[in-house]
Amino acid sequence: MSDLIGTSVSHPGAAAKARGAALFTDDMTLPGMLHGRLLLSPLPHARILSIDTSKASRLPGVKAVITGSDLPRVSYGNWRLFPETQDEYGLALDRVRFVGDEVAAVAAIDRDTAVEAAALIQVEYEELPAVFDVDAAMAEGAPLLHDCAGNVSVERRIDYGEVDKGLAAADYVREDTFTVQAQLHGYMEPCSALARWEPDGRLTVWTSTQTPYIVQCHLASTLGLRENDVRVIKPAVGGGFGGKMELRSWELCAAFLSRLTGRPVKFTLTREEEFILARRRHPMKLRSKVGFRKDGTLVAKDLQILLDGGAYNAMGPTATFLCGNFGAMLYRYPAYRFWGRHVYTNKPPASAMRGFGAPQSLFVSESQMNMAAGELGIDPIELRIKNAMRTGDVIPDVATISSCGFIESLEKVAEMSRWKEKQADCRPGRGIGVGCYSFISGGVFNWFNTQYPFTAVEVRAFADGTVHLLTMASDIGQGSDGVLAQILAGELGLRMEDVRVTAADTAITPQADLGTWGSRVTLMAGNATLDAARQIKEELFGALSARYDLNVIYDLECRGGRVQIKGGKKDKSLSFGEAVALVQRANRGKPLVARGYYTPRGKGLVTPAFSFGAQVAEVEVDTDTGVAKVERMWTAHDCGVPINPAGVEGQLEGSIHMGLGYALSEEVVTVNGRMANASFLDYKLPSTLDMPPGESVTIETYEPEGPFGAKEAGEGLVSPTAPAIADAVCQATGYRCQDLPITPEKILRGSSGMAFGPSAIGRTSHPADEEEQG
Amino acid sequence: MLPHIEYLLPETLEEACRLLAEAGDGGVVMAGGTDLLVKMKAGGVVPRLVVALGRVPGLDRIAFSEQGDVSIGATTRLADVAGNERIAYELPAVAEAAADTATPQIRNMGTVVGNLCNAAPSADNAPCLLALEGSVSIQGPSSLRELPLAEFFKGPGLTALSCGEIVTRVVVPKVGRASGLSYRSLSARGRVDIAAAGAAALVELADGVCCKVRVVLGGVAPVPLPVPEAAQVLEGTEPAADRIVAAAARAAAACTPISDVRASAEYRRHVVEVLTRRALAQALERAQANAGRAS
Repeated sequence: MSDLIGTSVSHPGAAAKARGAALFTDDMTLPGMLHGRLLLSPLPHARILSIDTSKASRLPGVKAVITGSDLPRVSYGNWRLFPETQDEYGLALDRVRFVGDEVAAVAAIDRDTAVEAAALIQVEYEELPAVFDVDAAMAEGAPLLHDCAGNVSVERRIDYGEVDKGLAAADYVREDTFTVQAQLHGYMEPCSALARWEPDGRLTVWTSTQTPYIVQCHLASTLGLRENDVRVIKPAVGGGFGGKMELRSWELCAAFLSRLTGRPVKFTLTREEEFILARRRHPMKLRSKVGFRKDGTLVAKDLQILLDGGAYNAMGPTATFLCGNFGAMLYRYPAYRFWGRHVYTNKPPASAMRGFGAPQSLFVSESQMNMAAGELGIDPIELRIKNAMRTGDVIPDVATISSCGFIESLEKVAEMSRWKEKQADCRPGRGIGVGCYSFISGGVFNWFNTQYPFTAVEVRAFADGTVHLLTMASDIGQGSDGVLAQILAGELGLRMEDVRVTAADTAITPQADLGTWGSRVTLMAGNATLDAARQIKEELFGALSARYDLNVIYDLECRGGRVQIKGGKKDKSLSFGEAVALVQRANRGKPLVARGYYTPRGKGLVTPAFSFGAQVAEVEVDTDTGVAKVERMWTAHDCGVPINPAGVEGQLEGSIHMGLGYALSEEVVTVNGRMANASFLDYKLPSTLDMPPGESVTIETYEPEGPFGAKEAGEGLVSPTAPAIADAVCQATGYRCQDLPITPEKILRGSSGMAFGPSAIGRTSHPADEEEQG
Repeated sequence: MLPHIEYLLPETLEEACRLLAEAGDGGVVMAGGTDLLVKMKAGGVVPRLVVALGRVPGLDRIAFSEQGDVSIGATTRLADVAGNERIAYELPAVAEAAADTATPQIRNMGTVVGNLCNAAPSADNAPCLLALEGSVSIQGPSSLRELPLAEFFKGPGLTALSCGEIVTRVVVPKVGRASGLSYRSLSARGRVDIAAAGAAALVELADGVCCKVRVVLGGVAPVPLPVPEAAQVLEGTEPAADRIVAAAARAAAACTPISDVRASAEYRRHVVEVLTRRALAQALERAQANAGRAS
C-alpha cells in the first residue's frame, strides 16, 4: 500500500476556505440576475381559498410572481421506486400543511424588493384542524394530511427468529418506551440556488446540495425536460448533514422563474427561514421489549417505532427502514421483530440527518442495555461484549459483517476511561456511562431507482505527470474531494498536488453518483476511483514492459512518481509522465482515460460494510440546578483503515458536537406549529465552549469491500453520545432519561432527593412569544 | 435584513441629543449595536434614524473619582469593563458580570450602558450595579439629570428615558472596605446564552455583623428586581448559613418569573433561590476577606 494512505493530509479546498476565497452559491452573481423570495405559510394546516398577487406584481422592480398553479403539476420525492410516496410540489396547490410550507415565489431586481413583494401577496386561508404529534395524527377522526389512512404513509416490518417464544422463555424481560426530539442540521451555509435558463432551452443550476444528480433528475421531471438538458453544478458547500439531499422548492422556483423572466434567478434562504422550514431529524416514539437469560445472553427483541415525519415523506421512508435495521445491530439477537410506521403531522418534514435512524434506534437499545445491566448485576461493558456482533455474522437481508472491531472498541474504551475504577468512584453529582454504535457505509436499496452505477468516476492521465479526477461525488465540507484524491494519488504513486479534482457538475462528471449521504462516498466513490486508477496503471505497466522488454511475470508498481519494477532496478523505470506519453504514442495520440464504477453486489439490501464503536462519557451534575456538564469523552471506533486520519478526527469531533446537542440541549420548541426558538440564540446548538475534552482511538480492521480496507467514519459516532451521557446522568442523579433532551429541569424533576415542584410543565404550551428578554 | 434607515455619527453629545429630539419616536441611540441591530433585523424596532455614539469623544472612559466612585461611560465596551484591573480588584463582581455577558465577539462590540438601556429583565450587568446603588447620568436636549438605577427600569425593554435623552454613563459609589459583591447567573443550556436567571448580592460587614446587605435578581420579574425583604433577613445579624437559606427563600418568594423558551417559571423560581444562596455566600466570603485585609 502507498505511504500516502493513512497519512494525515490537508484538504485540497482548505486554503480557499480559510482565506474566505471559496465560492459558495450565494457568492455568485450573473449579469441581469434577479433575486427570489418565497412566501411561506403562516398556518400549520389550511385550505388556500385564494391568492392575490396583483399588488406584489405591480411593485416596481418585480419581474414575476408565481404560485402553485403556475408550476407544472408534477409531484416529486426521492423514493422514485415507489411513486406513491412522491408527495411534494414546488409550491402549495390548494393546501398548506405546516408553518413554512411554500406558497408563492417572487423574482425581483434586488433582495429588498423581493422581500417587500412577497409580503404584498394576499392569501386567503381557511384554517383546518392540525396534528402535532404521532398520537394525535393516528387518532380516530384525525385530520388527514394526504390520502393515507391514519396518516401512516410508510410501514416496514422485519421479523426473524421466534420472538414471542424467546421473550416468553427469557429469564429477564424489560419493556420501555422512549421519545426523542427533532434536531436541526445547523449547517453553516444556508441553502442557496442560482438558475439560468440558457438561450438554447437548456437549464443550468448552481445549488448548495449533497446530491447534484438527484436534483438534476427531479428538475428534469418537474419541468418536463430531458435529464441531459439540465446541468446541476455543486460549488463549495458549507455543510449538509443530510439536510440538502432532495430537490427543494427554491431550486425549482429559481429555474421556473428564470424561464419566465429570461434572466438568472437566485434564492438564498435566511437563517430564520432555515429554522422554520429546514429538514430535520425525525422525532420518534419508540417501544422496545427485550429479553435476556440470567447470564446476560440476549434472546429476543421486539421494537416498534412511530416516526413523526412532518408534512411530507422526504427521506422518511429510508429513516423508517434504517431504524429497523439499526435496531437489529450491535448485538446477536437470535430473534428480532420490528414494526416501523412513518406518520404525517403538521410540522416541517423530517428527513435524512447524520446517523439517519441510528441515533433514535440506538438510544433505545443502548439505554436498555444499560438499564438491564444494572438489574442483571452485570457490568454494562461486559454485558455488551457477551452479546457483541463479530466478523462473519450474517442477518439475512439486514447485515453481512465482513469486518468488525466492536469487542476491541469496548475493551479499549474501558481501558482508556479507567471504566472499572471510575464506576466504583461514582457519587451523587458525578457519573460515567457508555454507549455504542454501528453504522453503514452507504446504502444498497435503490430507492432512487437509478439506471446508472451507484457511483462513477473518470480519471485522465497527462504526460506532465498529473491526473484529473472527475466525479459527481459531492464534497460538502466532509472532505471527500481530499479522500478521493488521496486514494487516486496513493494508488498511482503520485502526490496530492498532482491530482486535480472536478466535482461535481452533472454536465462534465460521469453519470452518475447518488450523492453524499449514508457515509457512502469513501467506500463507493473510493472503489470507483481505485477501479479507474488500476486501469490506468495497467496501461502504464504495459508501456514500461514494452519499453524495456520486461519478462511478463515481473511485478510492477507506481511509486514515488515513477513506474517501476517492484523491488527492482531503478534504471528500468519511467516517470509517471513519461509512461503516460509512451501509452499515448503507442495509441497514436489517444487520450489516456479510464472510467471506474461501483455498485454493491452480494451484500444484501442494506450496506456493503458496517463500522462499530464505543464511547464513554463522564458527567458532572450540579444537583441544585440540574445542569449537567460533560467533563470528558472517550471514544474507540472501528472505521476500517483510515485513509486520512486527520479527516477521521474532524468527523469524530463533529459527531460529538452534534451528539452533545442531541443529548442535552437541542430542541425545537413550537407554539401551535410555529417555532418559538427560531434563532441560534435560543436553538441550543452547543458552542465551542461546551465541547468536552476527550481522547479517541481508532481500532483498525481491514474491510475487504472498502478501498484500502476503509469504511464509514464519523457519521455513526453521532449515536453513542446521547445514551452514554444519559447513563452517566442516571448514575450521577438517579434520573434515567427516556425522553431526550436531558434538560436541567428534567434532571431536577426526575431525580430522587432533589427539591423541585412535582407539577410538570409542558414547555410547548407556554406563550413563548410573550417573553421579552433579549 | 436591515430596513432602510438614516445613520448618523454626531461628534458631540449636544448634537446627538438634538438629532434624537428632532427625530422623535423615529430615533434610536446606538452604542455597540449588539441588541439594537438584532432587533432591527427582526423588525422589533423600526427606526427612521439611528444615532451612533461612536464618535462622541470621552464616552468610552472608565473613570474613578477622588472619593473612589467609578464611572463607566456609554460606549465603554463590556470587554473593557471585564478586563479593567481596578474594577476587577475593587468590584470583582462588576467585572465578572460583564465577562459573563454573551460571547467574546459581543463583548468586544456591546457596552455595559447599552446592556442597561436595552432593559432586558435578564440583563447581566443590572443586578450588581443595582446592588451597588448605582445611578445613571442622563443628557437631554437642554439639561443633564442623575437618576438612581432603581428608578431607571420600567418594564421589559422600557426605561425612564424620554425623547432626546441619552445615558452618558453609569456611576457606582465607592463601597465600604469590608464589603463583598457577587453575581451568579445561570442559563439552562449551553454557555452562550441569555441568563435564565441571575442574582447579585452585596454584603458589608462591621464588627462581624452584616451592616448592609443588598439582593437583586435578574430574569425573574419584568425588571431587575431588588429584594429588600431578603436582605433584611441578614442585616444587623452575624452571618449564618441558615439565615442565608432563609434570605434565598424570600428572594424566590418575591420573584414573578414567566415561562418561555429558555426555562419554565417554576425552574426559574427554583434556580433563583440557589443562585441567591450562592451569591450571598460568595459575597460574604469576599466581605470577610476584605475585612481581614482592611484590619
